[in-house]
Amino acid sequence: MRSALLLIALAACGSEHAGPQPIRFLHTFGAEETEMFNALMAERGIAVDASLVPFARGQQVIGEILRAGTACPDLIRIDATWLASLGPFAAVPDNLIGLDWLPESKEMIATSAGNIGNAGAIPETVDGLVVIRDDATPAPASPAIADLIGAARAARHPGRPHPLGLRVDGYWLLPWLRADNIDLGFDSDGQPMIGHDGAARAMQAFASLFGDLAPSPPPAGSEAPDEVRRWLGHELAYWVTGPWQVGALAERDHLAVSALAHAPRGGQLLMVPQCAKRPTEGWKLAAELTSVEVQRAFAERFASVPSRKAALDASPPLVKQLYKALQTAEPLPRSPLTPMLFDDLNPALAAVVAGDATPDEAVAGAARGWSRIAGQRK
Amino acid sequence: MKRSLRWRVLLILSLAAVVPTVVVGVLAIMRARHDVENEVKRGSLAHIRALGAALDGTLQGARRTIELAASQWADAPNDARETQLLIKRLRRGVPIVKSVSILDPDGKLLYGDPVPPNVDIGSHSFGGYIGDAIFTNAGTPTVHAVVQARGRTGELMGVVVAALDLGFVHDVIAAARLGPGARVLVVDGTGVPVATSDTTTVSAHSLAGTDPAVDRALASSIEGTLSANGMVSAYRNLSSYQSLRGVRWAIIHQQPEAQAYALARSTTRDTAIIGIAALAIALALGAFFATKLTRPLADLAQRADAIAAGHTTDGAPVKGPGEIGVLAQSVDEMAKRIAERAELAAALARGDRLASVGVMSAQVAHEINNPLTTVLGYAKLLLEDKPEGHPDRTALELIADEAERMKKIIGGLLEYARAPRPSEPATVTATGAAAPGHSDPATVVRHVAALVAPQLKKAHAQLVTDVAEGKSIAIDAHALQQVLVNLLQNAAQALTGGGTITVSAKPAAGGIATQLTIADDGPGIPAADQARVFDPFFTTKAPGTGTGLGLAVVKHLVATAGGSIEVGDGPNGKGAEFRVVIPNA
Repeated sequence: MRSALLLIALAACGSEHAGPQPIRFLHTFGAEETEMFNALMAERGIAVDASLVPFARGQQVIGEILRAGTACPDLIRIDATWLASLGPFAAVPDNLIGLDWLPESKEMIATSAGNIGNAGAIPETVDGLVVIRDDATPAPASPAIADLIGAARAARHPGRPHPLGLRVDGYWLLPWLRADNIDLGFDSDGQPMIGHDGAARAMQAFASLFGDLAPSPPPAGSEAPDEVRRWLGHELAYWVTGPWQVGALAERDHLAVSALAHAPRGGQLLMVPQCAKRPTEGWKLAAELTSVEVQRAFAERFASVPSRKAALDASPPLVKQLYKALQTAEPLPRSPLTPMLFDDLNPALAAVVAGDATPDEAVAGAARGWSRIAGQRK
Repeated sequence: MKRSLRWRVLLILSLAAVVPTVVVGVLAIMRARHDVENEVKRGSLAHIRALGAALDGTLQGARRTIELAASQWADAPNDARETQLLIKRLRRGVPIVKSVSILDPDGKLLYGDPVPPNVDIGSHSFGGYIGDAIFTNAGTPTVHAVVQARGRTGELMGVVVAALDLGFVHDVIAAARLGPGARVLVVDGTGVPVATSDTTTVSAHSLAGTDPAVDRALASSIEGTLSANGMVSAYRNLSSYQSLRGVRWAIIHQQPEAQAYALARSTTRDTAIIGIAALAIALALGAFFATKLTRPLADLAQRADAIAAGHTTDGAPVKGPGEIGVLAQSVDEMAKRIAERAELAAALARGDRLASVGVMSAQVAHEINNPLTTVLGYAKLLLEDKPEGHPDRTALELIADEAERMKKIIGGLLEYARAPRPSEPATVTATGAAAPGHSDPATVVRHVAALVAPQLKKAHAQLVTDVAEGKSIAIDAHALQQVLVNLLQNAAQALTGGGTITVSAKPAAGGIATQLTIADDGPGIPAADQARVFDPFFTTKAPGTGTGLGLAVVKHLVATAGGSIEVGDGPNGKGAEFRVVIPNA
């Protein structure tokens, strides 16, 4: 009887029970990742007020939120290239810096210091571009672009006229640019590297693949689902993409991963902004997200490459393949300008692929844009 | 006991059914109320989502048009005439566009209207941008959409900044169908109402810090609900919409709790009333059935008390359903057995007393018998010496007759006192029909019928027997023979004018004994004498014709065998009937 009354009393007050104040978390997870994140936090009894920020406009939205300062989150999950442009952040606690980070993670932590002298973020996952294929499909002879193209040509047949999966995006263009020693940034003279000799050639080489080895680009905004559809339909033999899209595939047992020379490598960082009202709680949530159990769970479910050794050791073989391929990739320059440079590079590349502009015209325009951005920053 | 049992059943019913029902019912009602309240909140959220989507759709449409215009301008950025026409068409085609400005990538105004200095055009950002509301002099809320203008080669040629009049937001909200007392408002990132559904004029005064819902909405990144200050609020941050990324505006639906939860409260009240009524009916039915269920048990308890007090035949048989009925039958059976055993015990006790009297009488008779034999012998010797007509002869004959009679009496007494002799070979035993101590009543009856045939013939009496063969009862055949001879002789003597004597056998009640019935259609035995006929020396015969020991001997033999005998009127109240019950072997 007492227990019954207790139940009634609990039921009476349970709905209005005020629990611990949730940790405010802005993240860029996908819908399914968000679902899993919520489940994991619920299992651990961690109250989180999480908000999803679409990745495509994440830097802009998060930047606006932090500038407004009225709803400053306790923790933010961001792309590694955004950190430098998002303003002041809190230093990472020593206990987190001392974890068993992978070398690529350590590098990201080191470059996150910025001008505050201390590390400003810890990586939650490592990502970048790799080549995905079926394990029955022969691997390219080497990570070189020429060998990838050669393998794709060999895999082409009437039933599969466009076996190479590429996206019209400056991020995908980088291996071609880097093959000509052009990177996302400025040379020692302060000139935009996109204006160097070879940039137009690289852009032309990349753009010429569409309609030849790679399928014609779909309408803007539908690239990711179009690529997944083509892969599932066995239209592609070699798919240049990142772990984030591999995780969307339900059937991953027969996937194999190859490295791509000069591929960009990055990751997703966890940072606590300086305006956070409860930075300690933010770092606690960061510790949970980088715990072996949570990273392994994400690796198993989404093929996310963990940022810690122990989590990688406990991950499925495919994730280990992804990591191995990413080890030869090269990180993007850690500059506040880096994300903005894509703003001009992407439309220039799209114009060349669409045939609206010659590579020389597009490269010249992008170089002017990069210069302007650099000038505005100064 | 009866009351206690019923209350116990009611208590069990309450504990087993009513309490869980009440607990579960209360929990269910509270859960249902909670769910309904949540539905109200969800409904409010759905409402503001729809309103937000409508706003979003309008803003997205406007932005797409601006993007097209920006792209068109970027193809010929230096054509002033075309640019002016473009700006004119944009204003005309998108009614919410209040002003259009075209700036170069560094933010310098090239065409159109001046941009307020506090608008962050965000030309460095990825795409369109809509800033917080900027209030114009006329007090109309306005936002600025900033769209990059890229040329054919993808190069940034400038940005188009369009001021959008948010008066349509007020129109959309005002047209919304709201519940009683409800209102919808849109606030900007500082909490200033941009539009409301009521007639309140939009003002530049921020509600932040005064309305908890506004504070919560601005602090949230997506949506939520809140109950505070007697109001139920649902809010959604407009930054979650495609066209409003980065904007900290919020749309809020507010309704007084009394109106918002009216359905939940009335549902709770109605459910509680129905539940209480159902519970009362269930309790009444429970009490009714408890009473019905326990009544046979109470009657059984009462019956058991009566049996314990020795009143085995008091009260009507108890009837009840199922196991209770079986139990009642068992109790009745038990009462019958107890009554039979009590009767047997009483009979045995009487038998013991009679046996004591018999032993004493036998001793007395034995002592008297010898001198009496002497007296009788000398009386007969003296009679032989006295010639007929001798004056002493009469006296001597009287002495001899009386002495003879006394010898008969003494003989009867000795017979009564003689103990059963199971080892003595019985007449019927020789037939092999029964073992020592057991007898076959059919065989014995046939034998006795032959023995008493002369007396029956003399009395013009007809003997009818109805005794099944093959039964075995626990009485020595000699004793049973003596019992039947005595009873048949008595019956024959009673039938002075002739008649019928019936000997029958049937299973006694309970099936553990056999009842032998010896009935005649003679004058019968008066009721007053029926209780005494088994007493020694009691006789209804004429003086000198009976010793009064025959039936006493019969009863003694029957009791010795563990049986019983009783007398009553014959069939149809005529004649006498002796019922001898002997245990089965």
